[in-house]
Amino acid sequence: MALDEKNLEAMLDQYPAKVKRNRKKHILITNSKEEQIIEANTRTIPGIITNRGCAYAGCKGVVLGPLKDIVHITHGPIGCGYYSWLTRRNKAKTEEPGKNFLTYCVSTDMQESDIVFGGEKKLSKVIDETVSIFKPNAITINATCPVGLIGDDIQAVAKEAEKKHGITIMAFSCEGYKGVSQSAGHHIANNGLMDQIIGDGELEEGPKGKYCINILGEYNIGGDSWEIERIMKKIGYHIQAVMSGDGSYEELKNAHVADLNLVMCHRSINYIAEMLDKKYGTPWLKVNFIGVQSTINTLRNMALYFGDQKLIDKTEEVISSELAKIEPQLESYKKICAGKTAFCFVGGSRGHHYQALYQDLGIETTLAGYEFAHRDDYEGRDIISEIKGDADSRNIPDLEVTPDDKRFRLKISPERLEKLKEQIPLSNYKGMIPEMKDGRVVVDDLNHFETEEFIKALNPDIFSSGIKDKYIVQKMGIPSKQLHNYDYSGPYAGFNGAVNFAKDLSMSFESPTWNFIIPPWRETPLLEGSIEEGEA
Amino acid sequence: MEKEIIYSRNVNENPCNMCMAMGGIIPFKGIEESMVIIHGSQGCSTYMRRHIAEHFNEPIDVGSSSLNEKGTIYGGGDNLKKAIDNIIKVYNPAIIGVLTTCLAETIGEDIDGIASEYLKEKELNNLPIITVSTPGYGNTHAEGYWAAVKRIVTNLAIKKEKGSKVNIIIPQLSPADIREIKRLLQLMEVQYTLLPDFSDTLDRPFERSYKKITKDGTKIKDIVEMPDAVATIQMGVTIEENYSPGKYLEDEFGVPLYNTPIPIGLENTDVFLSLLSQLTGKEVPEALKQERGRLLDCMIDSHKYNAQGTSAIFGEPELVFAATKMCCENGIKPAVVATGSKTAKLAELVKPLCGDASLLDEADFVSIRSISTEMKVNVAIGNSDGKYLTEKEGIPLVRFGFPIHDRIGGQRLLSVGYIGTTMFLDRVTNTLLENKYNNYRKEMYQKFYWEPKKKTLAVPGS
Ligand code: SF4
Ligand code: SF4
Repeated sequence: MALDEKNLEAMLDQYPAKVKRNRKKHILITNSKEEQIIEANTRTIPGIITNRGCAYAGCKGVVLGPLKDIVHITHGPIGCGYYSWLTRRNKAKTEEPGKNFLTYCVSTDMQESDIVFGGEKKLSKVIDETVSIFKPNAITINATCPVGLIGDDIQAVAKEAEKKHGITIMAFSCEGYKGVSQSAGHHIANNGLMDQIIGDGELEEGPKGKYCINILGEYNIGGDSWEIERIMKKIGYHIQAVMSGDGSYEELKNAHVADLNLVMCHRSINYIAEMLDKKYGTPWLKVNFIGVQSTINTLRNMALYFGDQKLIDKTEEVISSELAKIEPQLESYKKICAGKTAFCFVGGSRGHHYQALYQDLGIETTLAGYEFAHRDDYEGRDIISEIKGDADSRNIPDLEVTPDDKRFRLKISPERLEKLKEQIPLSNYKGMIPEMKDGRVVVDDLNHFETEEFIKALNPDIFSSGIKDKYIVQKMGIPSKQLHNYDYSGPYAGFNGAVNFAKDLSMSFESPTWNFIIPPWRETPLLEGSIEEGEA
Repeated sequence: MEKEIIYSRNVNENPCNMCMAMGGIIPFKGIEESMVIIHGSQGCSTYMRRHIAEHFNEPIDVGSSSLNEKGTIYGGGDNLKKAIDNIIKVYNPAIIGVLTTCLAETIGEDIDGIASEYLKEKELNNLPIITVSTPGYGNTHAEGYWAAVKRIVTNLAIKKEKGSKVNIIIPQLSPADIREIKRLLQLMEVQYTLLPDFSDTLDRPFERSYKKITKDGTKIKDIVEMPDAVATIQMGVTIEENYSPGKYLEDEFGVPLYNTPIPIGLENTDVFLSLLSQLTGKEVPEALKQERGRLLDCMIDSHKYNAQGTSAIFGEPELVFAATKMCCENGIKPAVVATGSKTAKLAELVKPLCGDASLLDEADFVSIRSISTEMKVNVAIGNSDGKYLTEKEGIPLVRFGFPIHDRIGGQRLLSVGYIGTTMFLDRVTNTLLENKYNNYRKEMYQKFYWEPKKKTLAVPGS
């Protein structure tokens, strides 16, 4: 089934006229012959049931939350802190005993009197208690909506506390009303980490004789980054820091020593990648470890960047040994998956990444989109200069960085950089749309109403999204695969992850459950003929 | 964790409750063709939908007025009106609930004013918009729930003539529990209005055509007629009067109020059925007497195992009270009885049952944990967040209440009535037995062969 402009119009006609006009700009049918523009990162219309969260969710929940040796204090009433308590399934292990605080939800639990009289005093008491209870390596303070409104100066409280306790204490003004989605919070978190942690360490360079990298925008959902690290270590890379899955303050403060930054989720972390380039002269490479072929491409691109024949050979050796292991396993799953269609609607990069994995398995993605991405994630970075800011984007401060006097070091010559840029996505991202076939639907900020309508129109075999839309889809008799938290499964990244994913999908397709949807009395009259006793 | 218990802390470490607006959503999900809008920035509603969906395994549509920074300065009236507009267009609801958030309350939004202005502008006379003030810093989700039920009643109820129905007002139970209560009412041949009835809306059977909102749930007309009832039975012994819808019906319309415990536990179920019998003049039918007999039989079978149980019970006050009662009836000793709510009532009610238990209100899991280990608790009863007690201290958890997000089927857990109590008690007993068998060998070994080493203190993150 396909969708054309006419059915799309008819579908959108069900909206009030103003809403229709707005939503139309967020939806397109891919056509490589035209220059296509999609609207993104603008405010969701009130009353339209979006999957987006808030700046606090992006800052505390996504970027900072996984940093395991830091205690993240939510400054606000209890709800926000509770709701972001370990909800993203980031995994972490720690070498330092007692320095993994991921399972804790720490809140100032503001009461009415704090709203009326201000919450600064309570916050500083909570910081004191946090230090004495946990003895963390650092502390973050995350503001929720009321904090900004009552005018608590959390930056000042953090500074005071830092002096008192002698550890890094950072305040993030990520009130939920800032920006239009989690995306604003990513930006705020990125600025803070760049400003206050990265570069704080003493290291001047990585371990001798090893290529040293950071993995940015990888959150270790279901153990993804462990699989990625396994492959990298096999090839011989040294991973300095992961931002921020299974990450830590201790690693992050020396992230400046890397020779290359890998960018997994472009949306949530490209700010840091750009700033690291400017400040330390480290380029970034857009990577994708979701899917077999894209993992291979990524590994080859990395080897090409370093241009060392030994590394290139080792990379090829690891690729073939990994393939030899997984290909027999994938075979039977591919048979089940082949010819199926999928919807792929996820946060800010997976909507793109998972299309590759679907393709590996012979599944066509007929609709894709992002929850909180910007235009460059759809159309590529070339259009960044065209993006006009609005009131919502202007209230997030930009951080100005300059080359570091001591530590700036060009990692590769400008000539080689330019040449490499033609071959690999170095400091560049081309976006999702150019990689999609024509006639596919791209939707920004898909909502509940449209989910239902698009399913009716395109009838996919699998719908991959999050928990909020999962049940609508399942109620419509279509299997769903949560790509935010993986339905308690994973990892899905890398080579072994692809097998896990194929297995989980096949299990959904093949589940006998679907056979029982139509009861026997609807299909054929019961008791056609007679049943002889004892025969069955 | 340091061993000393710090009672007067400022920090809330691992909360035992959620915020008011979260609780306020649930009752609206139990009214026919209803929709809810959260007035504030959109994060709150997204977070809440996520958590409710995870518990019930159902789609949870809740709108948001998506306030932005500008709205925080100039007020959010326009946004809220737009939200109502779009919700009407897409869902065509028969009733809309509007709940506030910390943000809306902090900037002092007049939601009543905005709602009535909207209705006037659009000349809508037949669409009730029910506003509820639910600031997150006000109280917990449990009070948010009651606040919403009360506003629904105060907004809709109109006295006409004397009827013959009984009002049944319930706290947040599982859909399976609600269905069981309805079955009991049917067996007792009672005409009733049950509010809020989310037994079908939040545990919907699979059907071929998906409907966004349905006619299931309490009928609006029935809520309007609640003042005509002969009595109100409100399962709300722990709620404060200002949150009590039953009290309102009594004060305003003279409907006699019977505040009873949730019928979990033998005696609580006896109370409920006797009351129904007294109100209707009908005898408790044979079928229910049989169920009572079976529960008693179960209690006799289990009491020897349960006598070895020491429990920590936590969650919403009303559920905690009922579960505590059930434990006491069969010899499971409650050592910690805790709620995240601010309430003195729970402690008052629980004291006569188990005076030496630690009674905590405004509790977080750190306080529950430290007392549980001190008192050698061997079974925890409450929502999924108690899994922390299992992970850190090895205390097994019987999942009960809301939210249950790490197991499937929270919506199907049956705990009310004689049958439900039997099943609930079995769950507790079996957990104690499993724990006992698992530790049996270890304990024997330790008793007879093993020289204990000095216990090392647990540290956070361990
Ligand atoms: S505590 Fe307040 S701000 Fe936080 S989620 Fe609840 S209503 Fe929203
Ligand atoms: S109050 Fe603000 S910070 Fe908290 S969840 Fe809501 S939108 Fe996010």
